[in-house]
Amino acid sequence: MHALALLAASVTVVGAIMVITRRVAVHAVLYLVVTLLALAAVLVMQGASFAAMLEIIIYAGAIMVLFVFVIMMLNLGQTDSTREKEWLRPRAWLGPGILATIVCAELLYCRRPLSGPAPALAPITAHDVGLSLFGRYVLMVELVSFLLLAGLVSAFYIGRNRMGRH
Amino acid sequence: MTGHDVFLPMPLMVVSSGIMVMLAATTWRRSVERSFVGSMVTLVLALAVMGYHTGRMPDTGSSLFIQDWWAGYTAILTIFSSLCILLMAWRDAGHDRTTLVDEYPLLFMLGTLGALAMVFSANYMSFFLGLEILGISLMGLAAFRHRSFMQGCEAAMKYLILSGVSSAILLFGIGLAYGITGSLRFIPPIAAGDMPAALPVAATVMILVGMFFKLSAVPFHMWLPDVMEGAPVPVAAFLAVVSKIAIFASLVRYFGTGNQPPFFDDILSVVITLTILGGNLLALRQTSLIRLLACSSIAHVGYLLIAFLCPGRLQSGAITIYLLAYTASTLGVFATITAFAIHEGPDGTAIMQWKGLFFSRPFLASAMSLMLLSLAGIPPGIGFFAKFEIVATGVEYPRGLLLCVLMIGSIIGLYYYLNIIRMMMTAPSLPSPRQNRHARPELTVLVIVLSMIVVIGGLLPARAIHSLLPAPAGPPAVQDRMVP
Repeated sequence: MHALALLAASVTVVGAIMVITRRVAVHAVLYLVVTLLALAAVLVMQGASFAAMLEIIIYAGAIMVLFVFVIMMLNLGQTDSTREKEWLRPRAWLGPGILATIVCAELLYCRRPLSGPAPALAPITAHDVGLSLFGRYVLMVELVSFLLLAGLVSAFYIGRNRMGRH
Repeated sequence: MTGHDVFLPMPLMVVSSGIMVMLAATTWRRSVERSFVGSMVTLVLALAVMGYHTGRMPDTGSSLFIQDWWAGYTAILTIFSSLCILLMAWRDAGHDRTTLVDEYPLLFMLGTLGALAMVFSANYMSFFLGLEILGISLMGLAAFRHRSFMQGCEAAMKYLILSGVSSAILLFGIGLAYGITGSLRFIPPIAAGDMPAALPVAATVMILVGMFFKLSAVPFHMWLPDVMEGAPVPVAAFLAVVSKIAIFASLVRYFGTGNQPPFFDDILSVVITLTILGGNLLALRQTSLIRLLACSSIAHVGYLLIAFLCPGRLQSGAITIYLLAYTASTLGVFATITAFAIHEGPDGTAIMQWKGLFFSRPFLASAMSLMLLSLAGIPPGIGFFAKFEIVATGVEYPRGLLLCVLMIGSIIGLYYYLNIIRMMMTAPSLPSPRQNRHARPELTVLVIVLSMIVVIGGLLPARAIHSLLPAPAGPPAVQDRMVP
């Protein structure tokens, strides 16, 4: 189990390094998806399956869609289907594909019940998370909402001003 | 747990409700003045409810917030400084009617909320969230420069990236600490069982590095002068005062006041030496007053850290009075700069513009001199006794080397502080053009109040020296003495 988690973690690191070294934004996004999936695999192997699901649904799902959307919007005007085709040549898929295969193989391997003592801890369910979020830690949820508000107001001010000047 | 026993210090509650009321008012009709008035009323209310809380304080270990003398004292300092800074910022927003900027007071309030959350925090989560609220609002605030928007944006970008890096380091340390202890309590991790001994050290050092970044101690100081120069003057004051008080309060809360772990001593001695010398030497050749103040605030952090490193009977009082002295004097300098700035004229951020001020505006020049003397640690101001107390702690818990560094730093500091006063006393080479000064009574009142705090604190320092720190149970103190 330990070795598997380490393997998934190293996939995460390799993916993250590839994200920041790619020249084409689309390629970086491909690697970012793999990085997030591998991170989710690490979380699963640590027993935090709920966090892993959130990671996949929110980050690899929703936020990635936003990224792709923004990249599409930024290329507006100079878009050019041949260049897009060039970006998504099979070679670009190769690296993320290999990394994703490693993670997938690991997860399949984990499906078999592992030998050894049964885990003593009960898995954390959505019910538990909800109870502690809106029970003990309700004030933290409120503080996070203020953090989002601060980010929103700052971004709004800077963005509006920039649009006004140019 | 149900709603009625959520423990929450009242000032946090008041400030957050105030922010929501301001937001609601903004949706109805946007008005800068009303936002400013709303935020000031909120802050005054928050001062009034200091010491109260909702719910029942849970047993130690499980609580998210804490309320004691130290938290109360630093919260009062934070709110009082925010109030002063809002008064300074009023002018900024007032003379520019083309753009509605009611985000300005709103972001100040959000930053104050973050600082308060840090000051009251007893848990990694509330500390980190407070830190981030403060950081993100400061990022927005740094871009609020009307005359040169791009410069402001550059400052905001620098702040965003560097504060992001330091937050990441801090978070990594917090994660390690949680891995070691399994609890989010805001105390340094201690190795238990068969953990390698290096793990808690690594966690502590990472958290320390994150805090030093935000506190701008010397190996991690390079962002402060740039950001403060690019930001508007009130925001620079916010950065130099409110954010530093909040971080320092958390630092003291986290490590406590007793004896520190052994590796701690060496790291801190090196950092303090570098901070004092580096800050003062950097300040020597500055031509911009704001950059000079940034460097001097780096040096003052070094002096404060000396008191933090010397556990003893005097430590608590020294930290208390030094925080008050630093806050009052720095706010005074910034208030004077704001009062100096003239619409359509020089904004007082370059030292050259202050030439001959004793002849043209004697009141302003005297106030500025008083504040600078207090920062340098010369008797009429409160700064003298504050520095005296720091030296006393260093003598009580023998730290000869650090005291030598403090001496050298103070002498260098004297040079650049007095240089500004000398500049103000030289006769202007040509008669100053008639400046259209419009009266700003609120700034005059602010400068007078801060001068009174500095002078009275300097004449009767005993009332300001109390041991308020958490570890040894201190005697009850007069809490609201620094509020005029």
